[in-house]
Amino acid sequence: MNSSNNPVHGHMDMGRLDQYRASQRDAQTDKVAETHIGKSDTAALAGAGVFLGSEKRSATMVVRDHQPICLQNDSKGFEMLPIAAALKQYDWLREKYFFKAVPEDDNEAVASCAKQENPLGFFIHVEKGVKVTLPCQAAMYMASDKLAQMVHNVVILEEEAELQLITGCLTRHHVRSGMHVAVEEHYIGRNARLVSTMVHSWGPEIMVYPHTGTIVEEGGRFESNYVLLRAAGHVVSNPRTWLNGRGASAKYVTVVIAGPGSVVDTGGSVYLNAENTSAELAHRGVSTGGIMNQGGMLIGAAPCKAHVDCAGMLLDPGERGYIESVPGLQSLHPDARMSHEASVGKIAPEQVEYLMSRGLEEREAISLLIRGFLGAEIEGLGETLDERIAEIAEIAGHGEG
Amino acid sequence: MPADTNILEIEALCVEAGGKELLHHLDLAIPEGEVHALLGQNGSGKTTLMMTIMGYSGYQVTHGEIRFKGQDITALNVTQRARLGIGIAMQRPPTIQGVTLSKLLAYELEHTRAPADMAELAKIAEIEPFLNRSINDGLSGGEIKRAELAQLLAMSPAFSMMDEPDSGVDIEALSLVGKLIHRLFSPDEKHPVKRKAGLIITHGGHVLNQYPIDKAHVMHDGKIGCSGNPAMIIEAIGASGYEACVRCMETR
Repeated sequence: MNSSNNPVHGHMDMGRLDQYRASQRDAQTDKVAETHIGKSDTAALAGAGVFLGSEKRSATMVVRDHQPICLQNDSKGFEMLPIAAALKQYDWLREKYFFKAVPEDDNEAVASCAKQENPLGFFIHVEKGVKVTLPCQAAMYMASDKLAQMVHNVVILEEEAELQLITGCLTRHHVRSGMHVAVEEHYIGRNARLVSTMVHSWGPEIMVYPHTGTIVEEGGRFESNYVLLRAAGHVVSNPRTWLNGRGASAKYVTVVIAGPGSVVDTGGSVYLNAENTSAELAHRGVSTGGIMNQGGMLIGAAPCKAHVDCAGMLLDPGERGYIESVPGLQSLHPDARMSHEASVGKIAPEQVEYLMSRGLEEREAISLLIRGFLGAEIEGLGETLDERIAEIAEIAGHGEG
Repeated sequence: MPADTNILEIEALCVEAGGKELLHHLDLAIPEGEVHALLGQNGSGKTTLMMTIMGYSGYQVTHGEIRFKGQDITALNVTQRARLGIGIAMQRPPTIQGVTLSKLLAYELEHTRAPADMAELAKIAEIEPFLNRSINDGLSGGEIKRAELAQLLAMSPAFSMMDEPDSGVDIEALSLVGKLIHRLFSPDEKHPVKRKAGLIITHGGHVLNQYPIDKAHVMHDGKIGCSGNPAMIIEAIGASGYEACVRCMETR
């Protein structure tokens, strides 16, 4: 993903961490506080798919700067708590799960996160056989400038459990710079299913380093939809997934926009370790002047089936924008059937004029084409994600981003 | 015929594409309520003329003027021309991944006052099987023609152009194409003589058996070489071939 002759890589510059206020929390903030969230906050959160007070959500947690605020949690058989509270309550959490899918010495950012005495973030536990019908939602919200927000989230689905998780990670509108480091661990039990939809919307100079590890047991399924709506200064997202049980599967859909001045590095590795495991990775991105590195590595160690597909559209390279697309395969088993494809293109003028001949304005036509490109061949995106993609298309089509 | 009864008037039009002049001082007038056919050999400039009327940017007007409903539209872009009431059914339209035909039809129906709804349109144009697929993705020639005609019906333009709606389709499909063309140009069944105007490119002239055409023009080397009664022109081409037609036009 990060070829050595490339001037800008997805590596973190942890020297920057010192620039941000990382430990402003006091003892009070460890508690679950019913703090008031203002109207402008509510609107900002809704923009990233997190709707406060909605009856269509099973549970809600907002981490505002350094404060976890649990707003709603009324479902049976599943629990959403601030991670610090969960660690105090459940000894088994630290023993069996905490930093098991993402090693605490993984890199400097993760190590910094691990050093926190009272970690910030959420814990979700869905009991055996419980199928949570309404999605649960979380927001990682940075409302202050020049802040370092470090979060650690753990999601555990027991056997046959099902959950839809919506996470919005965003900055308040005026926030320009800061750092967001996230460790997220997913444990998906036998025949359990987790659908995670994450929308990122950042200020222009935010450094964003999520580290996600997912372990899927036999027959389990993980679906990840990641949408980068408003590009940050630097985003590096390389989630790792281990399909450890027979028939386990994973699907990643990543849709990003890289505007001028931003570097977006999205990839991820999927380890197909058991018989009949399968994985699909689809990356779609538009650059309106930013740098975009698209990757995705499939490692087949058993009879499995997997495909990774990267497609980029360079609308305007600007001064330093480019797209680098490097999907990869590593086969460790003769019956691992894996494939990859990558393409980079632009909008064809004949397509724009074709739509114009149907009465669309040029800008409308371009937005529609971008939207089509971003959503093409990704079935069952769902209304929320489709709306977000329409928004990206609108931004990109108008030469912003 | 006074100028104000012509819906389309083209005067001394010269058009370049890819650095080459393809139309040379071409003149054409189509009155309101008339549908004309454009015949000619491959490479004679038929598609170039149609794309130029629509305003496609690959076709540079270097001389002359195009007037639509009396207004000079030579400098207008494709959207502006479409909104004035010019529609096109292309022979080889582009494939657009991720944008469904139903989405585009919905847009067209919403922005025009076409007397149709999506379900009815899909049914009569037999486009239901690929309505929710990406536009023109993996469609056969006949399916593309139906999809294009359905879009014209959804837009219901004052002036419709079609590029070879009759090529490569069997007799059964041809009759469906004829039915759709009929509905497009004569939407009011009670007043069959009150018609919309249009221009249909046809190589073999099969469409002339499907819908009454008022006048035919034969193109040769970027110009209209001959104009007249459609049946008589087609008969002459059928009897002696385009070669004889070309010899005649060149010796005049």
